[in-house]
Amino acid sequence: MMNSQRGMSTLGAVLLAATAGLLTATLMMDWMVVDVHVVDVSEHDDIQADMPVHIKVPFPLLIADIATGFIPDEAFEDAEIPPEARAQKELVLETIRALLDSPDAQYVKVRTEEANVDISKDGDTLRIAVDADDAVVRCNVPIDGILEALEEWDWETVDPGMVFDILHAAENGDLVTVATEDGVRVAIKMW
Amino acid sequence: MKRRVFTLVAIVALLAAPVAYGAEETRWVNVHVTENSSNTNVEVHLPLNLVLTVLRNVDVENFHGGHVDLELDEDMDINFPEIMQAIKDAPDGKFVTVTSDEADVNVHKEKGTIYIDVNQKEDEMAKVQVTVPVEMMDALSFGEENTLDVAALLEAFDNLPNGELVKVTSNEANVRVWIE
Repeated sequence: MMNSQRGMSTLGAVLLAATAGLLTATLMMDWMVVDVHVVDVSEHDDIQADMPVHIKVPFPLLIADIATGFIPDEAFEDAEIPPEARAQKELVLETIRALLDSPDAQYVKVRTEEANVDISKDGDTLRIAVDADDAVVRCNVPIDGILEALEEWDWETVDPGMVFDILHAAENGDLVTVATEDGVRVAIKMW
Repeated sequence: MKRRVFTLVAIVALLAAPVAYGAEETRWVNVHVTENSSNTNVEVHLPLNLVLTVLRNVDVENFHGGHVDLELDEDMDINFPEIMQAIKDAPDGKFVTVTSDEADVNVHKEKGTIYIDVNQKEDEMAKVQVTVPVEMMDALSFGEENTLDVAALLEAFDNLPNGELVKVTSNEANVRVWIE
């Protein structure tokens, strides 16, 4: 009598486990989403369709970080950091450290007829809000990420990897949102 | 019994911890500017420590490590510490009173605080009130090379009571600087 029960082969089990592991690892990575939304296309001559445009590009930060490694060094040869900026290294680092240790509060509030600006600290995040006549900008800056990136930076050459050090430290949610009066909304979110 | 007392002490210590932590209050430097003509309103509210850190680390022309270069003529022989001490030791009363068609100036000392009042009578009709607690005089430290330690002066804010330091009102703008 033949045994009709069919079990999973060892190779199948290994493949399944590997796929599950890969999927879990990918989902556990920091993801970034670039979300571009053009609500009022009539304002834009370069857009042909009548329908609003909505493009959402999610990608894991690790992939983008690896991709920057392929940028040839020659690309940054001309982009030298001026010595004036290097001279302010300690000022910048100490200021960010002090900001990180400072209590949460609204630090700056500006009200004019053209724009309103608010800067506040909320934990390790500096929140910047600009409400102008022609645009609304929200920016959540991870102070700890910036400090870490600047501490590791040589202050001499342009290092695109710095951006990812900062982004890794960013809290989940909107990192930057820009909404203009002509119907364009760009959001960079962290997952 | 011993165990119960220990538990009670631990609970009290835990409850007291936030109170003790809160006792180390952050001092805040506040600046409020309103410009009447453009309807502009600026409010800055910064922790004193943050301001001090920036001042101590700024290294630009005429300002290094919290010291500002007064750029005084080398021939001028001004003994600033002696002047400050004299003002500090002076009894309460009116020090300076100037009355003119352009402005009135009044400098007086009262209960350990020096008040400087300027009332402009033309143009912007500005009214300036500066309050200098004597404790700030102690912090005025002048270097050998005609430098003033601004950071040390600001550090003295930490020991000052809450209150207004500068108030300017005029037809064009109002400015208020205070510490809390």
